[in-house]
Amino acid sequence: MNKTLTAASLAFALGAAMTVASAPVAAADMADKEKCYGVAMKGKNDCKAGAGTTCAGTSKMDHQGNAWSLVPKGTCEKTVSKTSPSGYGQLAEFKEKKA
Amino acid sequence: MSLSIFAAALLNPNLPAPVGLTAWNGSDPAQRFRVYRNNVIVSLVDALADTFEVTQELVGEELFRAMARLYAYAHPPQSRLMAFYGDEFPCFIESFSPATALPYLADVALLEYRRVVAYHAADVPGVGAEAVADVLADDVFLPALVVSLHPSISVVASAFAVVSLWAAHQGVLELSAVAPEASETALVLRNGIEVEVLQISAAAGAFICELRAGTNLGAAAAEATGIDADFDLVAILGLLLQKSAITALHPSGSPS
Amino acid sequence: MTTAPGFLPTAAGAPAAHAAYLPARGGLGLKPEHFRTILETLPDLGFFEIHAENYMVDGGPFHHYLTQIRSHYPLSVHGVGLSIGGEGPLDEEHLDRLAVLITRYEPQSFSEHLAWSSHGDIFLNDLLPAPYNTATLQRVCDHIDRVHERLGRRMLLENPATYVEFAASTQAETDFIGEVVKRTGCGLLLDVNNVFVSCTNHGRDAQNYIDAFPLAATAQIHLAGFAKDVDAAGAPLLIDSHGSPIAQTVWDLYRFTLERTGPLPTLIERDNDIPAFAVLHAEAQQAEKLLQTCRIEVAA
Repeated sequence: MNKTLTAASLAFALGAAMTVASAPVAAADMADKEKCYGVAMKGKNDCKAGAGTTCAGTSKMDHQGNAWSLVPKGTCEKTVSKTSPSGYGQLAEFKEKKA
Repeated sequence: MSLSIFAAALLNPNLPAPVGLTAWNGSDPAQRFRVYRNNVIVSLVDALADTFEVTQELVGEELFRAMARLYAYAHPPQSRLMAFYGDEFPCFIESFSPATALPYLADVALLEYRRVVAYHAADVPGVGAEAVADVLADDVFLPALVVSLHPSISVVASAFAVVSLWAAHQGVLELSAVAPEASETALVLRNGIEVEVLQISAAAGAFICELRAGTNLGAAAAEATGIDADFDLVAILGLLLQKSAITALHPSGSPS
Repeated sequence: MTTAPGFLPTAAGAPAAHAAYLPARGGLGLKPEHFRTILETLPDLGFFEIHAENYMVDGGPFHHYLTQIRSHYPLSVHGVGLSIGGEGPLDEEHLDRLAVLITRYEPQSFSEHLAWSSHGDIFLNDLLPAPYNTATLQRVCDHIDRVHERLGRRMLLENPATYVEFAASTQAETDFIGEVVKRTGCGLLLDVNNVFVSCTNHGRDAQNYIDAFPLAATAQIHLAGFAKDVDAAGAPLLIDSHGSPIAQTVWDLYRFTLERTGPLPTLIERDNDIPAFAVLHAEAQQAEKLLQTCRIEVAA
């Protein structure tokens, strides 16, 4: 049995945690790198007809197209891949496979 | 006409427009029907785009909307509350072959969905120092202590750098510095009205999952230490207390 | 009529927030983007309106902000998911959620649409049209009766914007709504933009259309912007997009309506491309100018 399981060590941990939690400096440190907020969310129920829902848009949207042959063209291309010196290894390989 | 035919044609663009529609000027009512067909699908794709913002940025708008459109036809909403639409989208992404070049995409999507759930979760206050002092007063009960966590809490344990990928799209760090293959565990919670995404260790993630499942403090800590001998119980309990994420302590074992 | 007599505009603040009725003033759809601005500036505005379904969540920022905003302003709860025109009975769980929301926020008004949005287990997230005939009339009246019974209050029914008509329709929309109002005792939420959109889309005269509604039952007005398209024959087809300022033709039709109804609570709807709060507030003030003119004319 691990020592961390004893009542005394759990008591120590919880007591120390209380100190950690109430220390404002520690909280600020934690916030710097690890905490991250996103933007506020929208309400998703409404009674509009969506933007781009006109007939012209419809013909475009209704075109099934070849969704399965599309390739990612977003920010993913900016990430660094450890397994590839170029950093674009997986994507390049994928493009070749599809071509 | 039955509305079933109307509904079926809305959700399948390969079906003809329902019969029995008219236009005052004798124009083809099928084109007018397409306004409804398009309203439905665009509203669903837009709802997914709102929730899965980073997912969309990662693959680009064209691929995202094509993927979202296929999902929406295959999984139209079964709830009238659009806030939670897309719960199966992360799984769908995993099976969508054009996205397999980005094996981390489904986990990033899952993280985004969990943020929405946390955003709307119930408001429950965290325990104060007094409650902690109470359970510390008689530490013989501590191993059997059951800890209730805030309803907004969830853990996304990933083989990929989900937190870094997500954070890079919030302007927190440079995307060019992110190596997606590094395994990361995300803790999502709402503290007050702010949803936060924090990176924690895999062992801390397992610890929280054990607590959520009702495992007592002693056993949950043992489980986490088994995963990683360096598991830092003080740090994770401190973090949970600081974020008001511990909402009740049950020394007798079971939550009331 | 359920509206307060439209005398002087009431100032924003706690007394108006607890009035029995929405004031005959301009109001705005409440958008999360504007939560903080509203609480920091407490703009002079008649009321706010929410889409009910957005607030059917357990907790978090939406309730946090709405609770505070509600303490300062009258509130209209506008449902978009009850599917009153749908086949089959109303979703009782959804009615329960509405009842909880209404108990919690005690809004001055509750309204829903003459449309359907659910079929079977599927929610289609759009306001869809139904033929105007005796079968639809029966179920719409049954559904509204059930809403009245479950919520213990009178609801307002909104006229829809439509893009097609049905060969199976045997009644004009205005007569259909008149009959629903007569049978159920519900009020009318007259969406003037929807009147203009539908009349354009179906080749009708909008002023005659307004006159054909049961105007005495009108308790609220909606105004919004539309998008323009054309049908297969090249005729104009307007889309109820809520994404742009209110068109001058709709302002004119609003004025025409007020001359018949007297001043009524008037909501500016914007759900797409939401601008800064001040832009929407200016539109609400434009509505208030017309409401004021109409009060003077009524008094004269």
